[in-house]
Amino acid sequence: MSQSPTTPQARFPAIRLDQVGKRFGDHQVLEGIDLEVAHSEVVCLIGPSGSGKSTLLRCMAFLEHYDQGEIYIEGALIGWEIDDQGRRRRASNRRLRQSRSNLGMVFQQFNLWPHMTALGNVSEALKRVKGLSRLDAERRGRQALERVGLLDKADAHPARLSGGQQQRVAIARALAMEPKIMLFDEPTSALDPELVGEVLAVMKRLASEGMTMVVVTHEMGFAARMADTLVFLDHGRIIARGAPAQVFGEEAPPRVRQFLQDYLERNALLIDANTEAPGAMPSSISAGDGAAAATKGMF
Amino acid sequence: MNFDPSILTTHAGEIGDAFLVTVKTWLLGSALGLIVGLALALLIRSLGRWARLPLLALSELIRGTPFLVICFILYYGGPSIGIDLNAIFAGIVCIGFYSSVYFAEIFRSGFNAVPRGQLEAAECLGLGRWQLLVRIELPQMLVIILPALTNLLTVLCKETAILSIITVPELTAVLGGIGTRTFSFAETLVALCLAYLLLVELTARVGNWLERRVGGYLN
Ligand SMILES: Nc1ncnc2c1ncn2[C@@H]1O[C@H](COP(=O)(O)OP(=O)(O)O)[C@@H](O)[C@H]1O
Ligand SMILES: [Mg+2]
Repeated sequence: MSQSPTTPQARFPAIRLDQVGKRFGDHQVLEGIDLEVAHSEVVCLIGPSGSGKSTLLRCMAFLEHYDQGEIYIEGALIGWEIDDQGRRRRASNRRLRQSRSNLGMVFQQFNLWPHMTALGNVSEALKRVKGLSRLDAERRGRQALERVGLLDKADAHPARLSGGQQQRVAIARALAMEPKIMLFDEPTSALDPELVGEVLAVMKRLASEGMTMVVVTHEMGFAARMADTLVFLDHGRIIARGAPAQVFGEEAPPRVRQFLQDYLERNALLIDANTEAPGAMPSSISAGDGAAAATKGMF
Repeated sequence: MNFDPSILTTHAGEIGDAFLVTVKTWLLGSALGLIVGLALALLIRSLGRWARLPLLALSELIRGTPFLVICFILYYGGPSIGIDLNAIFAGIVCIGFYSSVYFAEIFRSGFNAVPRGQLEAAECLGLGRWQLLVRIELPQMLVIILPALTNLLTVLCKETAILSIITVPELTAVLGGIGTRTFSFAETLVALCLAYLLLVELTARVGNWLERRVGGYLN
């Protein structure tokens, strides 16, 4: 991979995928995915919708059961056990839970528990899984809320919070369990545009603190600036990977250029609609020049 | 024929006992049905698509059978296979058995109403199956299924009248008996209606109050 682990004592990458495949019925959604994520590395998964980004991320947490290849989280195979004959069997719940304890998952739809307050959401697993007393759990829960700047909302139920605040609570809920790796599935896609920034800011701070992160995102600006490695998925395969400058650069494969160009045009139209400026398209975008325009214009 | 409510006061003790029998068979039977129904819903959910078919069919069969027939089967069929129940206990079992499939159906719809993502989030954080059920699913389901539960409870309250046929000394049996013996049909029937109305109305109020209380977080 493009990066060596920043923790030299780590004997294995934070995440390693080896020839991972997944099918839904007879639809091969992922095929032959090889990927390593080093400790403290930020990997952004990008690509067209339906290309398998969510499925890949969910396989890493074994929310989807990948049916080919292997996924190792902190050196341990997640979800499956291989028996003597080389057949795979579901790992025990205890082992799965152990693997997942390294992971914090953040979803597009937040998935907060609406019947609990923000603090209740954040401290629930500390009580029930880590076995902390109510007092300790709430103290740690408040610390987690403070990290996302929402200490003052501790007693509010999710319905009382904006989308951006809900997503930050969801991030705090995952952080409170002190995972080594954070997985984000389009964390800002369900948000009104003006609320995207506060969530991205929290994620940027996490990355700068050395958190290992895998982020599925459509925020190309965030991906270009924050990612150590960009991974571009198309039809369930990785068709480009590397540092952002490389993936978005001049030698980008045509599929990636096309994707970037579409992205830019969509955003140009948005900006256009917002400012009501005459003259529809920025002149810098012309056919075949999308990738270059992306690196210059956007970032 | 003149309307003479004093017939009710002269039989007040008898009627009071019958009222308690009605409440007892109703509430204990419903509690039994609630617990069995929840277990049934959990069992059905845990089974595969094919393995659950026999249970679904059985549940369908029970729901297609009139309550009176169920009472006959349990009360008169029981002794023939060596189960002899006292009438009140049999009444509780009848209500519990009959209502369990309806409770199961309500719970099943309730489970479906809790978004999957919330459970995935809980799983990722390491919460176990039981904790998911008790901490995430049931509290939220309750808000959603409370109207259906209240409704079923009021239906069951009125169904206890059927238990008079299997000799349970509940309101309908006792007031009906008094009416026949003293020819004061009007008085006893009015009292009967008022008693059921009281219970049903009370149930609806408690249900409404609970709905407002447990649903508070939604706004
Ligand atoms: N549970 C599922 N059952 C069947 N097909 C699915 C399921 N989840 C995703 N898919 C299919 O897998 C493909 C990849 O989906 P997804 O991983 O959600 O893509 P992305 O996140 O890149 O938009 C899509 O074609 C989608 O329709
Ligand atoms: Mg997706």
